[in-house]
Amino acid sequence: MRAFLLRRALHAVFVLWGVVSAVFFLVRLTGDPTPFLVDQTATQQEIAEARTRLGLDRALHVQYLDFLRSVPRGDFGTSIREKRPAMQMVLEHLWPATVELAAAALLLSTILAIPLGVASATHKNGAVDHASRLASLFLQSMPSFWLGLMLILLFAVELGGLLPAFGSGSLRHLILPAVTLAAAPLAQNVRLIRSGMLEVLQQDYVRTARAKGLAERFVIYRHALRNAAIPVITVTGLSLGFMLSGAVIIETVFSWPGMGRLIVQAVPGRDFPVIQAGVFVFALIFVGLNLIVDLLYTVVDPRVRLT
Amino acid sequence: MIRHRRSLIFLLLLTWPLAAAGQPAITPPRTVDGVAIDPDAELVVALADDTTNMDPRIGMGSIRSNYIRQVFEGLVDVDAQGRPVPGLALSWKPVSELTWEFALRRGVTFHDGEPFNADTVLFNLDRFFRRNFDKWGLKDVLAATSFEKTYPFVTRWEKVDDYTVRVHTSEPAPTLWDFIGREPMVPRAYTLKNGVDGLNDRPVGTGPWKMVEWKRKTSMVFERNDAYWGTAPLFRKMRFQTIPEGAARIAALRAGQVGLIEGVPPFDAPALAQDARLKVVSSPQKLSCRLYLNARPKDKYDSGGKDGLFADQRVRLALNLAINKDAIVKKIFNGYALANASPVASVSYGYAAQEAYPYDPARARTLLAEAGFRDTNPLTLQLLFPAKHYGQSFDEMTPAVAEMLKDVGVQVTLKPVDFATLLQTASKGTLPPNGGFAACRTGNNLDADDYLRDWAAIAMINWAPYPPELMSLYTATRREVDAPKRLKLLADLQRQVRDWAPVVALYQEVKVYALSARVLRFAPLPELNMDFRGVAVKR
Repeated sequence: MRAFLLRRALHAVFVLWGVVSAVFFLVRLTGDPTPFLVDQTATQQEIAEARTRLGLDRALHVQYLDFLRSVPRGDFGTSIREKRPAMQMVLEHLWPATVELAAAALLLSTILAIPLGVASATHKNGAVDHASRLASLFLQSMPSFWLGLMLILLFAVELGGLLPAFGSGSLRHLILPAVTLAAAPLAQNVRLIRSGMLEVLQQDYVRTARAKGLAERFVIYRHALRNAAIPVITVTGLSLGFMLSGAVIIETVFSWPGMGRLIVQAVPGRDFPVIQAGVFVFALIFVGLNLIVDLLYTVVDPRVRLT
Repeated sequence: MIRHRRSLIFLLLLTWPLAAAGQPAITPPRTVDGVAIDPDAELVVALADDTTNMDPRIGMGSIRSNYIRQVFEGLVDVDAQGRPVPGLALSWKPVSELTWEFALRRGVTFHDGEPFNADTVLFNLDRFFRRNFDKWGLKDVLAATSFEKTYPFVTRWEKVDDYTVRVHTSEPAPTLWDFIGREPMVPRAYTLKNGVDGLNDRPVGTGPWKMVEWKRKTSMVFERNDAYWGTAPLFRKMRFQTIPEGAARIAALRAGQVGLIEGVPPFDAPALAQDARLKVVSSPQKLSCRLYLNARPKDKYDSGGKDGLFADQRVRLALNLAINKDAIVKKIFNGYALANASPVASVSYGYAAQEAYPYDPARARTLLAEAGFRDTNPLTLQLLFPAKHYGQSFDEMTPAVAEMLKDVGVQVTLKPVDFATLLQTASKGTLPPNGGFAACRTGNNLDADDYLRDWAAIAMINWAPYPPELMSLYTATRREVDAPKRLKLLADLQRQVRDWAPVVALYQEVKVYALSARVLRFAPLPELNMDFRGVAVKR
């Protein structure tokens, strides 16, 4: 296990180096941020002076080496647009807003998915199964911005302000964005659990467990679900990554001050330091989540050995 | 007796600061237009975006101005019609051909109590023109407008007394009141103590609102400045809430969770106006949207040895005649836009209305043929447009314009790009000879010169430099200090620019706001910012 962790840590360093380097060069391929910072009547000379002041007139390899020297210190430079430390900006949006929203959506999408998926599988082709499959199809098909707006119209407008239409800071604010964000992963998890359970319930060891006279609930949740859950863990790990990094549309609809919108706004604004810091944090999250998922396999299925 | 004297001294001490500050005791009214108001109310205003900075020196774009001008003020203010009125200066006048004098308002203090006076203005002028940073020990910031480059003729400034400042120039500068007067003033002592970063994070101005909280990308909370020198807002708190999505802003307004929203899509306005709980108001803005066409001579851009294809005035005029602007205003903007043939926004000082370019495709074809572009040798145009930058209506308008140009035989290739790419192309001068772009321009200044200087120096938006005769006329407008004579020159220049047609004028924006019927006396300005002075919230 120790060797496994050491190897994964080394991999992580290479992955992070690769990601930040790729981003460093890619964002510079998109062009020059200076015209954003000057007046529309600025002359080319004024723009060139602004570029010099930002250090963007230096040779690319000089900028890159400077950048690599700063990254281990967590120093990604100062936001070109906001004149604040880029990493600080990213972390301010990561915690609590992004983590809060992702955690709530993750809880919703897994806790609800388990009973729904199990019920769907154990009542195959019954009313519960049909309803669950139909709801899953609906939730997976709905564009999240549409679903979000519909929820706002229903709960904030039609039901007389039962829930707030925007903002963050309380449980009431969290409900609508979390439900919207959880909708698609929830549907996906329900379908995965259903199909996994249907397969597992045909296995010999399930038959054996039943033959031993174990209670049906015990058979399903103790024996069948543990095996059916392995693909769900993989998908949930990826979903959490998506929730942490890619909830831009939900953040936009609900004015949620998360990290996704910060990075997406930084891209057209060519705010290089913020993009680089944001992508670094995303990469770190994905690497970390993948490691956690691998470790979880050993917990759920003791036959899995990490070497 | 001693006790009596002590009481008198105590009373004097109690009242002295108020008297010294020159502030009358304020009793806010309890009713407005006969309606009971809530002086302790909080108004939530939904905006599409947060500001990136609060230091006015860094930049004052259309989003940022809204935030910055609640807190900071300039020497010159504007009224609801966009006319210049006294702000932190009571008056301004040229005292000679090369000197302007500003008489400052007395008794004004910044939110932290620092007095506003001539020293404040001198310090700010130093910052505008990037002088004496060593003396002040102040960090320079990358400013959007380089005063020292744009207005190099401003030579020095001096304090005549505590409330009078003179600014000297090397040539007559009739618009000095505007470009200096509209720039917000920041406190000297506070900035020196806290640095420009402190000023940016925790701004302190003289304006009607004090900023008390700023959650970046989320909201900014203001509290009424009870020591404000002018007409104060009639409610206590205001929150600018960022809601990027237009439909979500409307839903929040209809849910009663915000009191006012900006940027209402033109086709949503009538439905909102029918709701008895809401009001819809609008005002023309300075945002003028145009097609910029490459009419630069080959030595003025990265041309590959070719002059811009639109250097011929007849070609640009033909394209103006090919566009049905009334149809654009009615069908795409639902009436919430203006067709304006003057190069100057209709709300600017010195604007002179010009004869509209008629929609005349036949004449357009004739002009193109006279310029040598016929069916066998058609005019081509590579038209860049910044998708998803100016809003949905702009994105719908540009293809419509392209189709109208195709109708008169122009072969248009429409190329959507992100705004940054457009800016880069325009700033580096890498438009192809047959290139053009659709874009809008606006400004913080009030004078017509803010628009008419577009074609003077080669800059991002100057793709049709003034010919010598227009340059002479333009220079004359910049030298004439006598106001009536200058207005006449400005009108003449606008007429000539209209005929010379450096751009294809498309529309001037009319901004639409929707607000709760509880919000009283809100009048939109023809400026980049909203003004809440005198606004009240019904109890």
